[in-house]
Amino acid sequence: MSGRVNMRPTNKNALLKVVILGDGGVGKSCLMNRFVSNHFDEHSFHTIGVEFLNKDIEIDNESYTLQIWDTAGQERFKTLRTPFYRGSDICMLTYAIDDKSSFRNMNMWKNEFLYYADIKENSSFPFIVVGNKSDVSIEEREVSQLELETWCNENGIASCIETSAKNASNVQEAFKMAVQHWLRAESRADRTECTYSDTVDLSKKQSDVRNSCCAGATDD
Amino acid sequence: MEDNQEEVLEIFTQDGVLITTAPATYIHYLNNVGTLLIVEYPNSNLTRCIEWKPLDLTIDSDVQDQEWTVVSTVERRRTYSGSLPVDVNRSKHLKINMNDIKSFRVSHKNQKLTFRDGKGDNVCSFIFQHGNCDGLIAVLKGILKTIVSRRDKHVYCILDDIKNPERQQLDKSFAELNLFQEQSSAYVWKFVKNFPNRPYEATMEAFSKITDIVYRGPEHRLMDSEVHNILHRSLEAIENNTTTHSHDEYELIAHVPRLPALKEYPRGRPLSFEQWKALQDSEGQVEDVEAVKLVIFRGGISSNVRKEVWKYLLDYYRWKCSHAEQQNLIKQRNEEYFIMKLQWRSMTKIQEDNFTDYRERKSLIEKDVNRTDRTLDYFAGDNNPNLQVLYDILMTYAMYNFDLGYVQGMSDLLSPILYLMNNEVEAFWCFVGFMNKVSSNFDMDQAGMKEQLQHLHTLTAFYDPEFANYLYKHDSANMFFCFRWLLVWFKRELSQQDVMRLWEVLWTDLPCQNFHLLICVAILDTEKNILMENNYGFTEILKHINDLSGNIDISTVISKAEGMYNQIVDAEHLTDAVRLIIGLPILGNTSIVDSKEASPDISDLTTNGDTDEVSYENALTHSFL
Repeated sequence: MSGRVNMRPTNKNALLKVVILGDGGVGKSCLMNRFVSNHFDEHSFHTIGVEFLNKDIEIDNESYTLQIWDTAGQERFKTLRTPFYRGSDICMLTYAIDDKSSFRNMNMWKNEFLYYADIKENSSFPFIVVGNKSDVSIEEREVSQLELETWCNENGIASCIETSAKNASNVQEAFKMAVQHWLRAESRADRTECTYSDTVDLSKKQSDVRNSCCAGATDD
Repeated sequence: MEDNQEEVLEIFTQDGVLITTAPATYIHYLNNVGTLLIVEYPNSNLTRCIEWKPLDLTIDSDVQDQEWTVVSTVERRRTYSGSLPVDVNRSKHLKINMNDIKSFRVSHKNQKLTFRDGKGDNVCSFIFQHGNCDGLIAVLKGILKTIVSRRDKHVYCILDDIKNPERQQLDKSFAELNLFQEQSSAYVWKFVKNFPNRPYEATMEAFSKITDIVYRGPEHRLMDSEVHNILHRSLEAIENNTTTHSHDEYELIAHVPRLPALKEYPRGRPLSFEQWKALQDSEGQVEDVEAVKLVIFRGGISSNVRKEVWKYLLDYYRWKCSHAEQQNLIKQRNEEYFIMKLQWRSMTKIQEDNFTDYRERKSLIEKDVNRTDRTLDYFAGDNNPNLQVLYDILMTYAMYNFDLGYVQGMSDLLSPILYLMNNEVEAFWCFVGFMNKVSSNFDMDQAGMKEQLQHLHTLTAFYDPEFANYLYKHDSANMFFCFRWLLVWFKRELSQQDVMRLWEVLWTDLPCQNFHLLICVAILDTEKNILMENNYGFTEILKHINDLSGNIDISTVISKAEGMYNQIVDAEHLTDAVRLIIGLPILGNTSIVDSKEASPDISDLTTNGDTDEVSYENALTHSFL
């Protein structure tokens, strides 16, 4: 403890603030811990208050530092949770594949985020939808992949993916996809402001996204 | 023994007096119950003493001296009441010559009496478990010349000993009169501080004080030079302050009042089985509830008696009930529990389908039970039956208090209770008792949590304005990083054993309400250097505080918090805002938003009334702009 590691990112990577939202028990903390430390504990505590972890990620030879914010999912803690939405770069909406009501509640989470994060252009904000617990058996599954894609289409969200924090399936990919989506949104914002058009190679990012489970939902 | 030959006149005796502060020589008597006496020794120049003897001394007066040195009185305490025979073992008494006492303070609804030496130290304090100390005060007033301190109406200053006229001729300095109590400089500073804002009132107050001295003290001529000195110094100070700082003539007196020094309060021994039994009468009633609580506050509870005592602390058992009444109560509570449990157990599938709110609660409880303390053996493994009990209790609580329902964090609070009780019904009712103490943590609008965070800030600002200012400047005045500490009373920061030790201390409500906030202040005080040296901002502070989990030495923290509490209570500039938080009576002479004085920048957090929520959210939001 007394070593006192400086928590700030040591390099000058772009720092991206990622907020993970979703109902209690869908696996927000587990996704974060799997991504950051490749560790999974089925019986880890539910989150109280707010926690965050930093993790560097490299995409197309560019390094980014993700600051991932994990909050308590219960409605009760709304007023203490929402101030942390401000300044987010990416919002990860999560549900559990074996929990239909957590899927239905994504509308609520999306609206809560948009309201409190103070986003100017709703449509272009980089949301990514993550259906966690893809390790559950077919009998236990309550949300199909088709329902996920339909919901994303209806809500104008381009990126979605099914993950399992338990068996590590697609977790790295989910965060990578989130950053790629952010890059595209950024470049679009830049383009609309008629400035620095040469910063990002757009086509490449998009083709990456097409490899995801949610390819049909990409916008062009 | 020579004491036996000496003539002794007992002016006053009172049983059931617990000693909580004592001179070093008598430290082994601390936290024991005994008899307080006022004694006169006619053969020794009418010397009067305050004496105190532990209960056992009477009962075991035939025990050899050498045994006393090795056997602890605490271990052998037993119940004893009724009038005590004249004591032959007077040499064992705690004895304080009354000439060494300069003032005494009455507190805790006249149940606590503290004698002071006039140099800022408490000589000894007593808690009167049978009634109060009114009788003793009356006697003291009869034999001593006392006046009530102007600064603190609970303090009696001893002017002199009327029966001993020679002493009056001794060097009686201004300070010894004790009108200004421990530090006359503190009064002067108050005057200096108030002068620019309220020059007229401050001056009049100061002069009225001096008038007191002049009229009441017979040697006023001797004091003239002292008075002159003080006035001279204070005027000098005003000049210094106003000339060096002022460009705005009424604002910049920058003197920050100091707290008394932090003293050590070593932890005591835990309440033992023998002590506990001794404190109950044959019927099982506990007479001296405050005595029990005090021992628990000082040292916690031994594990062999913790289970029983928790039931009292958590209002499942009643302190003043006989065994028979207790049995009755248990029976009632048992029936009541199973009625409530049956209510949700008998819910049909269709009922459930038509009851969204219930379904959601049930689902969240299921999820949280599965992730509560699973690393402890008691809850480990698949299909652990204790998980089912945890679930049943939380479901039943949701029926017991449907408005509150289930809120995340409750399973944390229940876990140690169930672990200790290992009994569904007992754990349920103890959990109810705990929830009654902390239910505001789980308010729908989180108002209780916000208020606590604000109180925590007020305390921090009072205790350490520099640190509070640092937090403000680093967008952290919302104190949000302490949210988890407060919500589940450090459950996530401590081991199961440590959290049990802390909770039982906090349940005593000693030494004041909201002591858990002082625990926070104590931990923050330990960490503040790291935070400030590294120039941490809000996110880094949050991370640092979250990462303290598992690295907090709770005994040290409790001791420190107790020391800080005493610093705060003894502070000359104690504000009403702080008094309110720690449950002291309001004096009405300082404004509630006083913490602004210490740290002018934090005004947006310390306002009260309707703006609370707005200011909190502004402040919290402010952190992320």
